[in-house]
Amino acid sequence: MSSYYDLEDLLAEEEPVSVLFRVAADGVGILDPSSEDNNVEQGAKVDLPLWLAQDLFQRQAAFINLPSYFNQRVRKEMQADPGCVDIRSRCPYFYGVGCKLVPLTNDATLGSFLLYTLRGRYKDILCKSHSAAVSSTPKVMQILSREETILFQAGRESMTAFKKWRMEGTRMERAAVLGKKRKPQGEL
Amino acid sequence: MPLEAVITNCYILVSVSPLDVLRTDHTFGKHTRTRTQTEEERMFGRRAAQLCSELAQNDDDRLRRFDNDLFDQVIEEANEHYHQLETRMVKMQQEGLDIETTQNRDYFGALIHHLSLVRNKRCLMSYVYNRSQSVQRLRWQLGAVLPADLQEKLNFSEKEFFKNYSDLLGSYMTSIDLDLTVDTTPPKDPYIQVRVMDDLGEVLLDDQSTTLLRNSIHLMKRTEAESLISQGLLEEFTG
Repeated sequence: MSSYYDLEDLLAEEEPVSVLFRVAADGVGILDPSSEDNNVEQGAKVDLPLWLAQDLFQRQAAFINLPSYFNQRVRKEMQADPGCVDIRSRCPYFYGVGCKLVPLTNDATLGSFLLYTLRGRYKDILCKSHSAAVSSTPKVMQILSREETILFQAGRESMTAFKKWRMEGTRMERAAVLGKKRKPQGEL
Repeated sequence: MPLEAVITNCYILVSVSPLDVLRTDHTFGKHTRTRTQTEEERMFGRRAAQLCSELAQNDDDRLRRFDNDLFDQVIEEANEHYHQLETRMVKMQQEGLDIETTQNRDYFGALIHHLSLVRNKRCLMSYVYNRSQSVQRLRWQLGAVLPADLQEKLNFSEKEFFKNYSDLLGSYMTSIDLDLTVDTTPPKDPYIQVRVMDDLGEVLLDDQSTTLLRNSIHLMKRTEAESLISQGLLEEFTG
């Protein structure tokens, strides 16, 4: 599981989900844009970040609605051709949010849908990450979720390392923190 | 509490942009309004997430300047949550309610502030922790002395941390009499050909002083070259 300090995990929890309040709460008016006093009333329907929705659900203070990118229309689209669906514009943390929602929803098919999606897209990502030119940003990256982008980059790095090993290239390198560009020093 | 509300309202008044006014006017009905951009920015934990995404989107491994402004803003927000939490708790106590069992409006208000506080803390901790990992790597890659442009990207505590970590590693390496930062890839040959990237002047190599001029090629001990390559002063020469 993810660690307390994991940035990707933390940012996945920032994605908004739609929540229905089962209770009223005072002093948190900012959560509900249509409240006029500083309170949230029972039955208010608002978008909350996942980290808050998660805990409120566990304390039975709110219901969670599945985000629109897990609805039937998207699932049909995914069934037709997983490799072509633009996930990034829907939710950059598609899998992260999905996994966190599985225990919070009574939709039993969500987990298998996520698995189906990744399985359908994985081969394509792997092939393209191995074959794409190193310097360019291939088109396929524009529709990948954050998790898939990390997979893609891992694939690309391993391919670069393999090529270097085969060509017997340099093995020691300038530290990446210093940046790539060399300053034109010493030229008078 | 009334004073609190007045301040919040003032803040809304000041920070509403013309665009926001347009958006709010037409969507008056209950439960239909979405948050305006200014409200979105004031959402609990939003700034903390911003802080972390700055770090996460940093793909090329370069260290950025410590974001003091945003960091302080998050701490400010955490203080506000603490203050609100306390107010709710005091109010419940004054009403003679048992904080552990009562689940009224104040309880859930307090709960949300508590959760936000925990969330903000996690974001701040994560920011500091992940940066400290980068600072540790700097010691292995660049040695005990950092170049000036990297120095100024660290904040005071990170500089302290670097110094202490460096001392610790240094004294450990002295005690086992081995430089752990070299030979990170297994060597094939103890000597290596390098090209000099810049005029370095007199350098003490292998107990004798050598003048390294820009673009000259030298054969030198691998262990001595490794740290200089990592610092970007030399380049491995294959040709």
